Amino acid sequence: MKRLLLKVEPILWLLFGQGILIGTLLLTGWVLVLGIAAPLGVVDPISYARAHDLGASLIGRLVLLALIALPLWKGAHHMRHVFIDTGGGDRDATVAPLLYLLAAAGSLVAILAVVRL
Amino acid sequence: MSDVQKKTFVVTRFDPDRDQVPKTQSYEVPVEPDWKVLDALNFIKDHIDPTLSHRWSCRMAVCGSCGMLVNGEPKLTCKVALSSYGDTVEVAPLPNFPVIRDLVVELDGFMEKFEHVKPWIIRAKERAVEDGPMRQSPEELEEFKHFSMCINCMLCYAACPVVANEPEFLGPAAIALGHRYSLDSRDEGAGERNRIFRGEGTVFACSYANECSEVCPKNVDPAAAVNQAKLKAVIDWAAGLVLPRRAEE
Repeated sequence: MKRLLLKVEPILWLLFGQGILIGTLLLTGWVLVLGIAAPLGVVDPISYARAHDLGASLIGRLVLLALIALPLWKGAHHMRHVFIDTGGGDRDATVAPLLYLLAAAGSLVAILAVVRL
Repeated sequence: MSDVQKKTFVVTRFDPDRDQVPKTQSYEVPVEPDWKVLDALNFIKDHIDPTLSHRWSCRMAVCGSCGMLVNGEPKLTCKVALSSYGDTVEVAPLPNFPVIRDLVVELDGFMEKFEHVKPWIIRAKERAVEDGPMRQSPEELEEFKHFSMCINCMLCYAACPVVANEPEFLGPAAIALGHRYSLDSRDEGAGERNRIFRGEGTVFACSYANECSEVCPKNVDPAAAVNQAKLKAVIDWAAGLVLPRRAEE
């Protein structure tokens, strides 16, 4: 398992890096505008039909997928390293696949969700 | 000299022939206003306790020998002023290294990591002497110059949480040095180093705590080198998938 993790590390790191970018920049703004500012009336709320049209376009689906899936990989990778940094390195071969499987399952659900929009 | 200030130095002592575990010993030292931490350690050695062992050489932050833990932080003891500390100063050996005696740590494992990253100019074909020197523009030098200012003081290894938990990890200084050569316009060994960076001791083990750059006394910014090395290793890996021959080079 350690060798496999080593082999796929470039992919994991790439997903993690993109997850940081999307998670810290875009997702924060997304939640701020749609989750807080719009319900409070600070910005004009977007109608359901308009939001659905935007989300169901090809670019909209890709953006939604990136917004949901990439932060999951970032979270899994971060949790793995927090686990290692706090002395759990011996069990990395068990913990890391579990965390990445969770991220993969979440990504699969996200793919199904954006396809069915 | 009538109003001499005194500071208490709590120094970690360890004699492998007698001690099972390290212990601390306190020394009262009359300090001068312009002294560095190293001056006080040398005073202890010369005037109070000649059995104290510590490593130092140049006294001008160039040789990288006198790195120690001062009040819990990795510091070059010849560079940090005593005036920035209170009446009690704790001095201990650098963590993440085996201790030989008192404040002196073992360097062997650290030096081996440097060899792993091939810190020399690699050429596919050796250049003949009659071809003259390899020219380099100031812009090309600027690409890697700051990464070449490392003095191997090991403070970054003492500060790194990944080095503490993963002995295989190449570590900040070694990766920065390897990356320095990969950025050198005269070098053709980036592919070899990328494979090393992706292998055992992988650069991806770095969790970007950034502590290495925080403690670096020469502003090398090894954290930046590690993360640039990650990106280069990923691009090289992806290019190897598309162009299989590239991976075999």
